[in-house]
Amino acid sequence: MDLRKMMTIGAGRARGKGEASAAAQTGGGPQADGAASPPKPSKSERLANKVRINLDMTVREIFDGIEEDRTRPDGMAYFDRIFKAFIHGGKDVVRLEAGRKMVGTYCVFVPEELIYASGARPVRLCAGSYESVEIGEDHLPDVACPMVKSEMGFSTLPILDFYQRCDLVALPTSCDWKTKIGEILAEHHDVHMLGLPRIKELEASRDFWLEEVLRFKQSLERLTGKRIDRKRLQDAIRRVQRAQREVHRFHEIRKHTPAVIHGRDALEILNAYFYDEVEPWTAALASLNEELEQRIANGVHVAKPTAARLMLTGSPVVFPNWKIPTILEELGAVLVADEFCTSGRYLSDMVSLDEGTLPDMLEAIADRYMLPCSCPTFSNTTERRDRVLQLVEDYRVEGVIYHVFKGCHPFDIEMKTIETALQKKGVPMLKVETDYAPQDIEQLRTRIEAFIETLKGRAGVSA
Amino acid sequence: MNVQRLRLLVQAISFVLLIYGGAVAIDFGSKLPTFSCAFVEDVGGGCFLIALQHQLARPLPALLGTMGVTLLVLIGTAALLAVVLNKAWCGWICPVGFLQDLITKLRNLIGIDLSRLPWSSVKRYRSVKYVLLALLILLPLAIGNLGLSRDWTAPFCQMCPARPLLPLLKGDTSEFHVDFSSIPTLVLTTLAIVLAGLFVPVSFVKRRFFCSYCPMLAFLSLFDKVGLLSLRKDGQRCTRCGSCYRACPMEIREIEEEKVKTNLVTQDCILCLRCVESCPENKALTATFLGIEVFRASEAGFLERQSKKTEQ
Repeated sequence: MDLRKMMTIGAGRARGKGEASAAAQTGGGPQADGAASPPKPSKSERLANKVRINLDMTVREIFDGIEEDRTRPDGMAYFDRIFKAFIHGGKDVVRLEAGRKMVGTYCVFVPEELIYASGARPVRLCAGSYESVEIGEDHLPDVACPMVKSEMGFSTLPILDFYQRCDLVALPTSCDWKTKIGEILAEHHDVHMLGLPRIKELEASRDFWLEEVLRFKQSLERLTGKRIDRKRLQDAIRRVQRAQREVHRFHEIRKHTPAVIHGRDALEILNAYFYDEVEPWTAALASLNEELEQRIANGVHVAKPTAARLMLTGSPVVFPNWKIPTILEELGAVLVADEFCTSGRYLSDMVSLDEGTLPDMLEAIADRYMLPCSCPTFSNTTERRDRVLQLVEDYRVEGVIYHVFKGCHPFDIEMKTIETALQKKGVPMLKVETDYAPQDIEQLRTRIEAFIETLKGRAGVSA
Repeated sequence: MNVQRLRLLVQAISFVLLIYGGAVAIDFGSKLPTFSCAFVEDVGGGCFLIALQHQLARPLPALLGTMGVTLLVLIGTAALLAVVLNKAWCGWICPVGFLQDLITKLRNLIGIDLSRLPWSSVKRYRSVKYVLLALLILLPLAIGNLGLSRDWTAPFCQMCPARPLLPLLKGDTSEFHVDFSSIPTLVLTTLAIVLAGLFVPVSFVKRRFFCSYCPMLAFLSLFDKVGLLSLRKDGQRCTRCGSCYRACPMEIREIEEEKVKTNLVTQDCILCLRCVESCPENKALTATFLGIEVFRASEAGFLERQSKKTEQ
């Protein structure tokens, strides 16, 4: 592989892929009982096993809870399948044809159209597992956010199969954590760092980012040996746009009162896009959309018309960290919208072709991934503030929960601006600072319950 | 609604009426705020700048007397037309604009990419059109009052590339010449030939290259605020995705950057409405006439237009 020649870090991969999946197989879940014969597992293998067993339990518990919910649409089965596959080392989470390259991505800045056009398959690696945080803590300072710790755990130890199978990991320098984990990841994977400017309003930033997108394109072409030409790129853009069309249809459905789908399910749907090929996912969402539109026509809903309409913003919620959405929906509120980079705005912004030449496509792709992105890593908060306010308006949101990871400074800093803007509109906001640990669930429940009560009080006053 | 197709149709009809209409006795007068050159034989309607420059070349007492009334009628008519259609005169009617758009279409057919100027250059050269407008008013006044040579008569028309170019469309090459009779005419007519010569190659890479420097755009931009046809923006709905900026043939960055102002008919805007078409956010951009919405940005429209571009 001449991958080393390009501007990617990641010369020495400590673990070959074969070795990693072999380790995953020796460890795997219930079969582990039978594999008592030597060689004795190493310390890291034992740790990986432990995490895998804990993760299995978490996933099982989540789906035990979900299966009691009789209001769920049938169309959720497809998305459930993906997350249920996290059990036993996640071998079935990402289904990939033999020989096809897999590109792991972080954040919302890696242009997946390019990955598809190169013939490879994007898999987003942003992680939400408490279980793997512990391993990540070996590599990162205490104050690091739980998401990078969790990702780090999966990337450095053979817990989930698809983390090990990445042929290339694309990592944007979105926040300080993401900027610095590249070097650590490079010990395990080939890493392509994407330099993300922080002041996106500058002409120089745009030019620089376009250059970075072009460099990533070259990196992919070298990986797959396939040239990304106009035809292939147009094809990839079309495939992703079709998915986005269904996402927009889904957003429209979510605006309906009373809600026809739980917010937690909505998070799950978008989260599932991390792992599957775009077409089957699109088809699954299309049929779910039909089911939900039927629900609207038949007057079937999942929440009372009086249920408080809440919105989430801030640090993203990724499976299996469903603490917050689960709590608030258990309390009878309904999560109608979110502004997370992993769900609400994940597939929202679209590539906008103008003249349709290859340079136009590349520019459109570069623009789409940076300019409208309301990530707090950028110097201005205006776009995010306006997006939140617009969501509040469009989804008739009654209260906003601002979710901040411990260690997620960008979101924490922007909190004041967003709070002030919401105050001006008379929309109450609750700040919730937490991580992936389950210990604070009851405390969070109490606070969110009190918040919902005050919303009811307000509704009573205004009625 | 496919606004760009409609625009192309309106442009084509205007073009035929203005350039060839005279032959079938169509006459929109000679007070139009658009580059329909009076040097075209039997023009269907003429640019008011030539009349303006001629009428201004009179002594002040005459201008303050009865001649002044004629001048006021001329400017008043052009201003009224400017208020009604605003800069749709540039984006929808102007024959020179249409020619540039046709050249862009040709480039699209061949599949060659466009070029843009650096942001700083766009900003720097923006004032050129106002300088030209000022000169085409001041020089004739100087002829009438300060004894400036008659060779400076209608100075802008002498250097305007439309004068050699548009008659050419009727097979008339007589305007393709350099006037050696004096230094001013030599300079001005040479400029016209150079600009006309550059017209096709430069328009081929840079959309609407001439418009940024056009004194007519400068004149029309005086009515940006009061034009009945207008372009409105709702800043909160805008995600600054940059789609409008990339679509804009005039490379106006305000369309994407502005979050506070609502009137987005900026000095260079030609109201082609490509920005509205390319905007993916519901009602973020709206074209209005007399305050009534005539066309607005919508997610559905955006998706439909995009799918046409990707499914072809």
